[in-house]
Amino acid sequence: MKRIQPFVSESVLIEKLNRRDQQAFQWLYDQYSAALYGVLLKIVQEEEQAEDLLQEAFIKIWNNLDAYDAGKGRLFTWLLNITRNTAIDSIRASKAAHRPNPTKAIRTDEENVYIVDGQHNTPPVNPDHIGVQDVVDQLRPERKELIDLVYFKGYTHEEAAETLNLPLGTVKTRIRAALQELKQLFHS
Amino acid sequence: MNVAEYIASGTLEAYILGAASDQERREVECLSSIYPEIKQELDQLALALEGYAMSVSVEPPAALRDRIMSQLSFGVAEITPVDGQAKPEAKVLPMPDTRPIYNITWIAAASVGLVLLAFSFFLITRLRDNQQALASLRSTNSSLQQDINALKSQRSGTDQVMALLRQPGTRIIQLKGNDKAPDGNLAVYWNQQTGQLALDITSLPALPSSQQYQLWTLKGGKPFDAGVFDPVTGIHSLHAIDKGSVDAFAITIEQRGGSPTPHLEALIAMTPIKAS
Repeated sequence: MKRIQPFVSESVLIEKLNRRDQQAFQWLYDQYSAALYGVLLKIVQEEEQAEDLLQEAFIKIWNNLDAYDAGKGRLFTWLLNITRNTAIDSIRASKAAHRPNPTKAIRTDEENVYIVDGQHNTPPVNPDHIGVQDVVDQLRPERKELIDLVYFKGYTHEEAAETLNLPLGTVKTRIRAALQELKQLFHS
Repeated sequence: MNVAEYIASGTLEAYILGAASDQERREVECLSSIYPEIKQELDQLALALEGYAMSVSVEPPAALRDRIMSQLSFGVAEITPVDGQAKPEAKVLPMPDTRPIYNITWIAAASVGLVLLAFSFFLITRLRDNQQALASLRSTNSSLQQDINALKSQRSGTDQVMALLRQPGTRIIQLKGNDKAPDGNLAVYWNQQTGQLALDITSLPALPSSQQYQLWTLKGGKPFDAGVFDPVTGIHSLHAIDKGSVDAFAITIEQRGGSPTPHLEALIAMTPIKAS
């Protein structure tokens, strides 16, 4: 699988980002903005709002660079989680009035943006690579729907089960199966 | 614990999707640091989600990049243009060597500064000298004034004594110190007709500041106060005493200010007056 050339190395990139290096930011933006914007569109499904949220997310990223610890997780996963939390917070805030039982506030604490990962220097999957979309399309629709609901809408497993009118056990099984499927697709 | 069972439980998936409860999240973070298999599974799930996110990529509008960048503050050391394109007109020119000009300017400025500094110092020194001279002159002037006043007062006393001496009938009575004041030597100028009195002290023993000499006249066996004085050589005018004859003049040492009656044990001189 073709890989994007990392910014010399991720540690150099992060060091430059911490010095608020403009070139480093441009690289970061060019590298990840499309994926983050795509995720935002999945979450809010409205371009103008997605643009505002992308701006908000990048400002958060820029202001919280000091908090990023390469030892705790991958940079892209960190960026994804900040972006996703920013969007879900925004949706929860606007929907709060209409939701009868906001059973669980979405977590926005910075700890939650880390995903433990030992393969920090593994470059992310190239989105330009022909086939990724095809590969994702291979996901079974009912599994993809669940992933989208939980990952993009911020639903808990219980909320997803309620929404799809499925038993909680089935939801858990399907999510695991979906992620295992994704794992196989993107496993290098 | 059964690691494989835990991996299969779906908790890791919930964690990676951000759907885990706080308790599950702590549990996963703890277990992943203990069991490499769990950590590896999490790594792969993270990578899988990254891939999934990449697969939904949509290029944002080009204008958004500049809009976002205008919201961020970048390190001051960076001189890269915002649009990322090198500006052709921004050529780097070597800095002209301006050191000699700087040196001359600097030397001139420094010289002017030094001259001003030296002149200021000179002026301050002059001012201080003048002030000192003025203070010294003032002090001399004041001391001269005091001397003049002292001389005036002395002169006025002398004039009074001279006037007394010129008067007919003024007598000069010598008083010599007894064995309590062997060096005592003074004269009393006395005019019996007017009662005017003056002293001319040649020498008298010094006294403690609490004591003064007192002059007495004796008349009919009784002492009469004729004034107190300090043992300062020179002429002293005293207040006039009653007119008429006097049997004797005597001097005692008394408390400062004098006593109503003489302490005869402190008598230092006595001269009887022969009737004239």
